[in-house]
Amino acid sequence: MTRVMVVDDHPMWREGVARDLTEGGFEVVATAGDGGEAVRRAPAARPEVVVVDLQLPVLSGVEVTRRLLAADPSVRVLVLSASGEHADVLEAVKAGATGYLVKSASREELLDAVTRTAQGEAVFTPGLAGLVLGEFRRLSASPPTPAGPAAPRLTDRETEVLRLVAKGLSYKQIAERLVISHRTVQNHVQNTLNKLQLHNRVELVRYAIEQGLDDELSAPEELR
Amino acid sequence: MGIETAVWRALTVFRVLGLVYALAVYIRRYDEYAHPVGGWVVLGLMAGWTALAAVAYSRPHGRRWPLLAADLSVAMATVVGTRFLDDVDRIEAGAQTLPVVWAAAPVLAFAIRGGWPAGVGAACAVGLADLVHRGELTVPTANNIVLLLLAGAVVGYTMSLARRGELALARALAVQAAGRERERLSRDIHDSVLQVLALVGRRGQEAGGEAAELGRLAADQERALRALVSAAPETVDGELDLRALLTAYATSSVTVSTPATPVVLAAARAREVAAAVGAALANVAAHAGDAARAWVLLEDAGSEVVVSVRDDGHGFDHARLEAARVEGRLGVAASIEGRVRDLGGTTVLESAPGEGTEVELRVPR
Repeated sequence: MTRVMVVDDHPMWREGVARDLTEGGFEVVATAGDGGEAVRRAPAARPEVVVVDLQLPVLSGVEVTRRLLAADPSVRVLVLSASGEHADVLEAVKAGATGYLVKSASREELLDAVTRTAQGEAVFTPGLAGLVLGEFRRLSASPPTPAGPAAPRLTDRETEVLRLVAKGLSYKQIAERLVISHRTVQNHVQNTLNKLQLHNRVELVRYAIEQGLDDELSAPEELR
Repeated sequence: MGIETAVWRALTVFRVLGLVYALAVYIRRYDEYAHPVGGWVVLGLMAGWTALAAVAYSRPHGRRWPLLAADLSVAMATVVGTRFLDDVDRIEAGAQTLPVVWAAAPVLAFAIRGGWPAGVGAACAVGLADLVHRGELTVPTANNIVLLLLAGAVVGYTMSLARRGELALARALAVQAAGRERERLSRDIHDSVLQVLALVGRRGQEAGGEAAELGRLAADQERALRALVSAAPETVDGELDLRALLTAYATSSVTVSTPATPVVLAAARAREVAAAVGAALANVAAHAGDAARAWVLLEDAGSEVVVSVRDDGHGFDHARLEAARVEGRLGVAASIEGRVRDLGGTTVLESAPGEGTEVELRVPR
């Protein structure tokens, strides 16, 4: 049974999600009402998947994502957030979250998303695809810094796949339209996330070196 | 302290300094005057008027044209009066007027109150008084008049610029304050109302039946309320974030995807693009079937913005599309194309039976 932790500051919502997950066959090992609590409880509860809201007291959802992944890189973070929090969603994904679902999603969609997240699959909504496309456009448009790493680029195929995801096509429909396998579609989507997260880590390390913190690279959580 | 208050106060300082200077000049030369006592009386009147003007101009409602006209008349009278009090030979030799620079104060007042045209007008009036005092146009008198004209024009023009600057600053501050208030509201609403509405929406849809309808309504209200509190107001220079206009279309059957950073367009262009997208979505609602959903994708390609509207409805084949175009039945599609063409952009329409329809709008910045 997949071990899940639910982090949301709204009690009614938190209980609702936890109940849906339990009924759906998941083991809810912990819940937390704020970011600090989530970070404290995770080591003992050892969740495989953390379902996290972005607007949290004490520590933001983005910060929770960063710290959980710094403490245990094998944990999977699924952002379950209200629509319209664009910048935060993108930050969470860059920090290592592998999925995003809006709170208006149905119970079935939630259970499916947690299942896929647990299997290591990236869960993309059209909204997240739009954000990631926009971020790659922004990165390639911003002038390259001499000391910095080259901005990551999407291949034409990856862009094509992301645009189709953003236009609401399912992986199956995309596979049919591009005459590729379902697995290949998943890989393309996963690659876009990996590139973004890798670039984010490189940027963080570069920032740390610039700030003279390179001595502390052995303790990555100190960088955050 | 606003610009108005500061400038009128500065004018009072100028008037007092001008009075002191006139006194200093007169004390050295009063015995050369034809009527020294008359000169003292005029200086006394000037002192009285300086005090009166200081009080009158310090109140915003006191800065009226009748007061300014009286101010100008007093100054002109002191200049012209010098001709009758001073020795004629001294005047012919180019002696200064009794008020000296004090007479320039109303020129500045006119310029402050009414901009450069009023300043230049008042400078002409005082210049005329200078001419009457001297009796003929000499080089020093001409110099004085040119200086007065310059002072009136420059102060007047600077004042209009400063006022415009102050207005822009006030507007920018108001926009900023509104933004901060919106942020606070949206935080509060996010923490309470939106969470409950989202929950009701989800539980309702699970319960089915009549509750599902209520749930759908709650979900739509959640989106509408969120769009309302997150919609950015127009920026000071008349630009709009296209994201705010497009996310307003989101409903339970319409998903809107945008970049995380603002997609800024001139306000009028942004509204036209949003209207074209609205027309495309209306087309979906009318023709794609009841169960059809739609996805709007906004992309910022630098020199142009790209908006795609896709639905998963019935769709149609190209032959039918052409037939419809010829018959003029493509009213909505034509209105989309028209709007986009007017913006210098292009529209691509793709559809196949059972595959839904996709419209892609490309609009240059």
